[in-house]
Amino acid sequence: MIARLCLAVVALLLACPCPALAQKLISALSDAQISITSGFSGHSLTLFGNVEPAIGSSDRVVTGPFDVVIVISGPVADRVVRRKERRLGIYVNTEEVTFRSFPTFYRVLASRRLSAIADETTLDENGLTPMSITMGSVPAGTSDARQFSEQLIRLMTEADRMGVAENAVRFLSDTFYTARAELPSDVPNGNFLAKTYVFKQGQIVATHAEAFRVRTIGFERFVGDAAHSYPLLYGLATVMVGLFTGWLGGALFRRA
Amino acid sequence: MQIYLPIAELSLNLFFLIGIGGAVGFLSGLFGVGGGFLLTPLLIFAGIPPSVAVASVTGQVVAASTSGVLSYWRRGAIDLKLATFLAAAGVIGAFIGVLTFSALRSAGQLDLAISLGYLFFLGLIGALMLSESVRSIARRRQAGGNLREKLPGQHNWVHGLPLRVRFHRSRLYISILPVIGIGLAIGFLGAVLGIGGGFILVPALIYILRVPGSVVIGTSLLQVLAIMAASTVLHAVDSQSVDFILAISLMAGGVAGAQFGVSASQYLRGDQLRGLLALIILGVAIRFALSLLLTPADPYSMAVIGPGGAL
Repeated sequence: MIARLCLAVVALLLACPCPALAQKLISALSDAQISITSGFSGHSLTLFGNVEPAIGSSDRVVTGPFDVVIVISGPVADRVVRRKERRLGIYVNTEEVTFRSFPTFYRVLASRRLSAIADETTLDENGLTPMSITMGSVPAGTSDARQFSEQLIRLMTEADRMGVAENAVRFLSDTFYTARAELPSDVPNGNFLAKTYVFKQGQIVATHAEAFRVRTIGFERFVGDAAHSYPLLYGLATVMVGLFTGWLGGALFRRA
Repeated sequence: MQIYLPIAELSLNLFFLIGIGGAVGFLSGLFGVGGGFLLTPLLIFAGIPPSVAVASVTGQVVAASTSGVLSYWRRGAIDLKLATFLAAAGVIGAFIGVLTFSALRSAGQLDLAISLGYLFFLGLIGALMLSESVRSIARRRQAGGNLREKLPGQHNWVHGLPLRVRFHRSRLYISILPVIGIGLAIGFLGAVLGIGGGFILVPALIYILRVPGSVVIGTSLLQVLAIMAASTVLHAVDSQSVDFILAISLMAGGVAGAQFGVSASQYLRGDQLRGLLALIILGVAIRFALSLLLTPADPYSMAVIGPGGAL
C-alpha cells in the first residue's frame, strides 16, 4: 500500500504540467498516523510548508505572491445515491446512481477563494473541486449524473465528510504557509493523501504530497480485527458475554 | 462521556447507550419481548449504520432476555418442551432469513421491505391485541372485577391437526405442526426485520396455540433468546457488523432494566399488559406508516455498497 502511494506521488510529480520549475515546495504534516482510541472525538491536523528556489535554479529567492490549495482525500468506496419517489401511494427508492471508487473523505483547503486562485478548468483537471471528483466517479453516459452529483456533494457535506474551506490556508510570510484540517470523530480508517498545489498567477508552479494514516488502536483495534479475522469466534464470544451479563444482572438484582 | 465504537466507526455518548438499553430492557422484562423493534430504530436515529444497529441489537437482546428467562425460570413460568420445539424451528427460520436478507440487500430494496414488514406486522398484531385487551378489560368491569381470565373458544382449527404432542406445563395436547410453523416464521421474520420477534410470538402463542398466560411470556423469552443467539453468530459471520462495544454498552443498561420490568409485570394484569404493549407496537407502526406516506424531508439518500479499488 505504501509502495502504491509512493508510486502515485511520483506519478503525480511527473505528470505535473509545470514548465521548468523555478521553485519547489517543502511541506510536512503534524501527524503521519492518527490513532483512534476510546475517547476519540475528532482530530486537528496541521499542514505547513515553504516555497523555496528549486535545486539548480539560478534564483536565490522566490517571488510571489503564491496561492496554496491542499486537497485531503481518504480511502475510497463504491457509493450509491438513491432518490425516493411516490409509487402507488408510498415513497420508494426509484432511481439510483453509483459512484465508483469515490473517496469516503474529501476536503479542500485554500488560501483564498478558489475561483480567484485559478480558472475552473485548471481546478477541475487537478481534482480540486467536489464536482470534479463526483463527476469523475460516475460511469460515462449516466443520465442525471450532474443532478445526483450535486446531491451526493450535499449529503457528504452534511455528514461532514466533504467540504471546501476557503481561507483555511494562512501565509505567515510571503512563502511560508500553515493550514489546519479538522477530521470528524467518524473519520474512516485507512490511508489518506494530502496533496498541496502552489499556484502563481493561476498556474501550478509546485506540488507535493504527503500520506497519512488513520487507524483504530488498543482494545478497539483488537475488537475490529477480531470481527474480521475470526467472525465465528467473535460471534460466539458476543453471545457468551450476553448470556453472562444477563445471568450476572439477574444474580445481582435478585439479592437487592 | 464519549465512547468509540470500532465497527460502527463513530463515537457516541456512553450514558445515552446505557440509558436506551435500560429503557428497552425494562419493556423487555415487562412484556416478554426482545425489544429489538424499539432499540434498532433508536440506534439508527442516533446515526449508527442500520446494518451495525440490527446486528449489535441481537447481542443486546441475548443479555436482556437471559436475565428475563432466569427470572421466569425460577418462578416456574416456562414450558421447556414447548420452547425447545419453537427454538429449534426458529433457528432454522433465522438461517433462511439471513440468506433472504442478503438477497434483498443486493437487490437494493431492503429498506422498503423492512418498512413494509414492520408496518404490516406491527399494525396487524398491535390492532388485534388492543381490541382483545380492551374487550377483556370491559368484560371484567361488567363482571365486577372477579372474572377468571378465559380466552374465547378453547378449541379452533389448529387443535384438529395430526401429530399431537402433550405439553404438560401449558396443559396442552396439540399438533406439533403449528408449533414448528410458528417457530420457523418467527425466526425468519426476526432475521429479515432485525428483531427478536417476541411481539409477534406472544400473541401467536396466546391466540393460535392457546398457551396459558402464566407461561406464555417466559416461554417466548426463551425462544427469543435462542433465535437472537443464533442470529448474533450468523450476523457476525455473514456481515461482520456486530459491534461488541456497542452491544456490551446496551447490555449493561438492558439487564438492569429487565429486572425492574419483570418485577413490574407482577403488578399488572395480563390484559392490561397486552393493552400497553399493543399501544407501543401501534406507535412504532404509525411511525413507519408516516415514513412511507409523507413526503420525505430529503428524497435523496446515500449508502456505501462496497469497497472501491485501491487508492
